[in-house]
Amino acid sequence: MRAGSPSCAPRGASPLPVVGFLAAAALLAAVPAFVQSPYALHVMVLLFLAIIQGESWNVLGGYTGQYSVGHAAYFGVGAYVTLMLLQFRQVPPWWGAWAAVLLAVVLGLVVGSITFRLRGPYFVLASIAVAEIVRLVVQNWKSVTNGAEGILVTEVPALRIGGHLVTDFTGKVPFYYAGLGLAAVTVAVNWAVQHSKLGYYFQAIREDQDAAHSLGISLARYKNVALAISAFFTAWSGAFYGIYVGFVDPNLLAVDVSVQIVLICIIGGIGTILGPVLGALVLVPLSEALRSNLIAEGLFSLGLSPTSRTGLFLKENLAQAHVLIYGILVVVVILYMPDGVLGFVKNLARRRAAARGAAAAATGGAA
Amino acid sequence: MTEFLQSLISGVLVGGAYALIGIGLTIIFGVMRIINFAHGDLLMVGTYITYFAFTLLGIDPFLSIVISIPLMFLLGAFLQKVFINRVLNALPQNQILLTIGLGLVMSNTVMMLFTSDYRILTTSYSSSSVRMGGLSISTPLVLSFLVTAVITAFLYWFLLKTDTGQAIRATAQDREAAQLMGIDVKRMSVLATGMGSALAGTAGALILPTYYTFPQVGSTYTLKAFVIVVLGGMGSVIGATLGGLVVGVAESLASYFTSSDLKELFVFVLFLVVLLFRPAGLLGKSRM
Amino acid sequence: MAAPVLEIKQVSKFFGGLAANANVSFSMEEGMIMGLIGPNGAGKTTLFNCITGYYPPSRGEILFKGRRMNGLQPDQVCKLGMARTWQKVRPLAKMTVLDNVMVGALARTNSLRVARQAAMEQLGVVRLAQRAGALAGGLPIGERKRLEVARVLATRPEILLLDEVMGGLNPAESEEIIQLILELKRGGLTQMVIEHDMKAIMRISDRIVVLNSGEKLAEGLPAEIVSNRDVVTAYLGEGFE
Repeated sequence: MRAGSPSCAPRGASPLPVVGFLAAAALLAAVPAFVQSPYALHVMVLLFLAIIQGESWNVLGGYTGQYSVGHAAYFGVGAYVTLMLLQFRQVPPWWGAWAAVLLAVVLGLVVGSITFRLRGPYFVLASIAVAEIVRLVVQNWKSVTNGAEGILVTEVPALRIGGHLVTDFTGKVPFYYAGLGLAAVTVAVNWAVQHSKLGYYFQAIREDQDAAHSLGISLARYKNVALAISAFFTAWSGAFYGIYVGFVDPNLLAVDVSVQIVLICIIGGIGTILGPVLGALVLVPLSEALRSNLIAEGLFSLGLSPTSRTGLFLKENLAQAHVLIYGILVVVVILYMPDGVLGFVKNLARRRAAARGAAAAATGGAA
Repeated sequence: MTEFLQSLISGVLVGGAYALIGIGLTIIFGVMRIINFAHGDLLMVGTYITYFAFTLLGIDPFLSIVISIPLMFLLGAFLQKVFINRVLNALPQNQILLTIGLGLVMSNTVMMLFTSDYRILTTSYSSSSVRMGGLSISTPLVLSFLVTAVITAFLYWFLLKTDTGQAIRATAQDREAAQLMGIDVKRMSVLATGMGSALAGTAGALILPTYYTFPQVGSTYTLKAFVIVVLGGMGSVIGATLGGLVVGVAESLASYFTSSDLKELFVFVLFLVVLLFRPAGLLGKSRM
Repeated sequence: MAAPVLEIKQVSKFFGGLAANANVSFSMEEGMIMGLIGPNGAGKTTLFNCITGYYPPSRGEILFKGRRMNGLQPDQVCKLGMARTWQKVRPLAKMTVLDNVMVGALARTNSLRVARQAAMEQLGVVRLAQRAGALAGGLPIGERKRLEVARVLATRPEILLLDEVMGGLNPAESEEIIQLILELKRGGLTQMVIEHDMKAIMRISDRIVVLNSGEKLAEGLPAEIVSNRDVVTAYLGEGFE
C-alpha cells in the first residue's frame, strides 16, 4: 500500500497521523525557547519554506500527475506583488500577501485553462514557457517592477493587533513561527485533500485521465482546483520569502527555482505527505552546507590540503555549486530512486517482507 | 525598405543555424520519443569548444567545426548510453526531468570551470559584410548559412540514401517493427543522440561569431529549438528545417519592429501558441 | 411501445477521409440488451466513443431519453446516466481495488463513507470483495475486467456500454460475466454489449446490430442475424454459405 494513495486512508481519520502531526508541531513550536542561534533558526526557516513549496507542488504534480516545472512563476508573483505593495504603496505585508496570492491563483487558473489540454511532457514544456514569460515580463516592465534591479524592502511595519505589538519582525523568531505556521497549514491542507473526494479524483486523473473522465470527473475543473491550491500555497511561500529576505529580483522566477521545487518532492517521494518533508530535510542542509563551505571544511579536516589546487577550487566554487548539485541530484533520483526516498524504503521493506515470506514458506510447511 | 529586407535576409540566414538545432532535436525525439530539454546546453557546449579552439588554438570557428562535430557526437553518445537509455520506458515526465537535470549539470559545470563571463568571438571578418544587390549582409551570417546548407544537404542524403540513415528513419517510424526487421535499435538511439548533439554543437559554432555565449545561454536555445520543432512537427526533419527558417525570420522581424528585449518574450509566446494550436506542427505530421 | 431510452440517428464519424461510422441508426428500449457485433475495424468502439462523448459524431444525433447528447463531455454523459467500460482495461493502477470503485461511486455522492459502502456493494456484485485492499495494477486480467465493471456500476448508470468485456477471459470467467450481465438486466439495467464471443452474444442479446466497415449491415433478433447471409459473408468473407 502506498502511503500517498487514499488506499491507506483509514476508515474515518485514524488518530495516529493527527497525533503525530500535532506532536511534531508542538515540539517545533518549543524549539526557539531552547535554540538561540540565529543561524540555526534561519536554517529552520529555510526548511519550512522548502516544505511549503514541496507540499504545494505535490498537490498538482504528485497527486494529480501534472508536472509543472514553472512553479517559480507563482512563487515569484507571491514575492513580487507583496513587496511591490509594501515598498511602493506602503501596504502592510499581511494584507499585501493576500493580494499577491490571489493574483497568483488567477494567473494559475488562466495558465491552467490554456495548458491543461496538453498531456505529459508537453504540459511540462508549456509550464516552463509560461514561467519564462512571467519572468521576462517582470524583468522588462521596469516602471512597475524595477526590472532586473529588483526591489529592496526598506522597512517592514510592525504587526499590531488591537494596539498590542505582536512583532516588529526583527530577528529570526517571528519568521520561525510564521514559517512553522504556514508549513503546518500546508501539510494539514495536503492531508485533508488526500482524505477527501478531491484526493480520489486527483489521483484518478493521474492514473488514467481518460478513464477518470468517463467516470464523471470533469478534468478541467479538477485540474484547475489542484492548480489553484498549489498556486495558493506556493505564492504564500513566495510572499513569506520576500518579507524574510527583504529583496526580490527576476531570478526568483528562473527555471532553477522551479526545478528546486520539483526536486524537493521527487527526492522525498512524489504523491506522499511525508515525501516533501523528507526532500526538504535532504535539500536544505545540503544546500546550506554547500553555501557555507561546510563540505569544503569537512574535506579539509579529513586531510585535504586547503592550499592544494583542489582545495582552493573547492573553497572558491563550492558555494556556487548548489545548482550543479541539484542537477546531479535530479539525475540520480530519476535514475535510481524515481519514487523518492520514501518509495525506495518502501520497496526495500516490501522486498524484505516478500523474501521472509518465501523463506518461511520454503522452510516450514504447516503453519 | 532596405533595412527591412536586410532584416528579413538576416533572419533567413540565422534561420539556417536554427534549422540545425531543430533538426537535431527532432531526430532525438523521432528515434527515442524523448524530449531533450538539454538540447540548448549541448549547443552551449559547442560554443565553448569553438571559442577555445579559436582563442587557444587559433582555429577559425567555421573550420573548427571539424573538431566540434566528432567531440559533440561523442558527448551525445555518452549521454545516451549512460543516462538516457535507462529511462526509455519511464514516465515521459521523468524523462524530461532527467534531461533537465543533465542540462543543469552541463551548464553549471561549464560555469564552474569557465565562470559566467560572456564570451565573444571576434574574427577578422566579424564586422565585415557582403554586398548583394544593394543590400549589406553580415559575412559571418552568410558563411554560417553556407555551412548549414552543406550540412543539411549531407544530412538529407544520409537519411534518404544510406542504409544507416534509412535504419534511423525506420526506427523513428516504428521502433518495434524496426527491431523485428533486424535493426539494432539501441545503436540507432546512440547514433541519433550523437547526431543530435553534433548538430546542436555545430549550430553553436555557427552562431558564436554573430552572438556571444555564456553558460546559461542554453535555456533560451532549448526553448527556441522546441518552437522550431513543434512548428515543424515533432520528428519531421523537413519540418524542423522550415521551422528554423520561420523562427529566424520571425525573430528578426520582431526585433526590427520592437526592441530586442521583447524578442525573447515573443519566442516564448510563439511557442505557447504553436503548442496549443498545432501540437502536430504546421505540416501536421510527425514522421521523418 | 415505450419511448426508446437511446436513439442513434444516422450517426457518422469521419477521421480525415475515413468514415469510421457511416449513417448508423438504431434505438434501444429500456431494460434490453443490445448486442453490437461486427468484424474488427467495423466501428463498434468508435460508436461507443461517440455515444459517451469521447468525441462528438461528425453527423447525426445521439438521443438519451430524448435529450441530445452530441458534444457533451464524457463526465457529463456519465453523470446523466450512460457509462462504459474499455476494450483495453483501464484500472487506476496505483490505487486499490476499493478505491477504484470508490472513484466511480463518488460520481453520485460527496461523502467518502457513502462511497465506500457503495463500492463494497458493487465489489460484492462482481465478487471481488475479498480483493478490496489489493493494488489494481497487480490484478490478473479476469479480475481487472470485473473491477472495471464494478467501478462503472458504482456510477449508477441507466445504460451500461460494455466493450469486449469478455476479451481475454477463460470460459469460466466469461460465464461469470454472462451471468452478471443477465442479473443486471433482471435489475432493470439497459445494456449495449460489444463482443466477439458469438455464443455469448446469442445468449444474452435481445436484439443484435451488425456493423461492417462503419455501416449498419443488419439488425434483428439473434436467430435472424445468425442466418443472415450478409452477416456471415462479412465475417467469413465471400465463398462461405
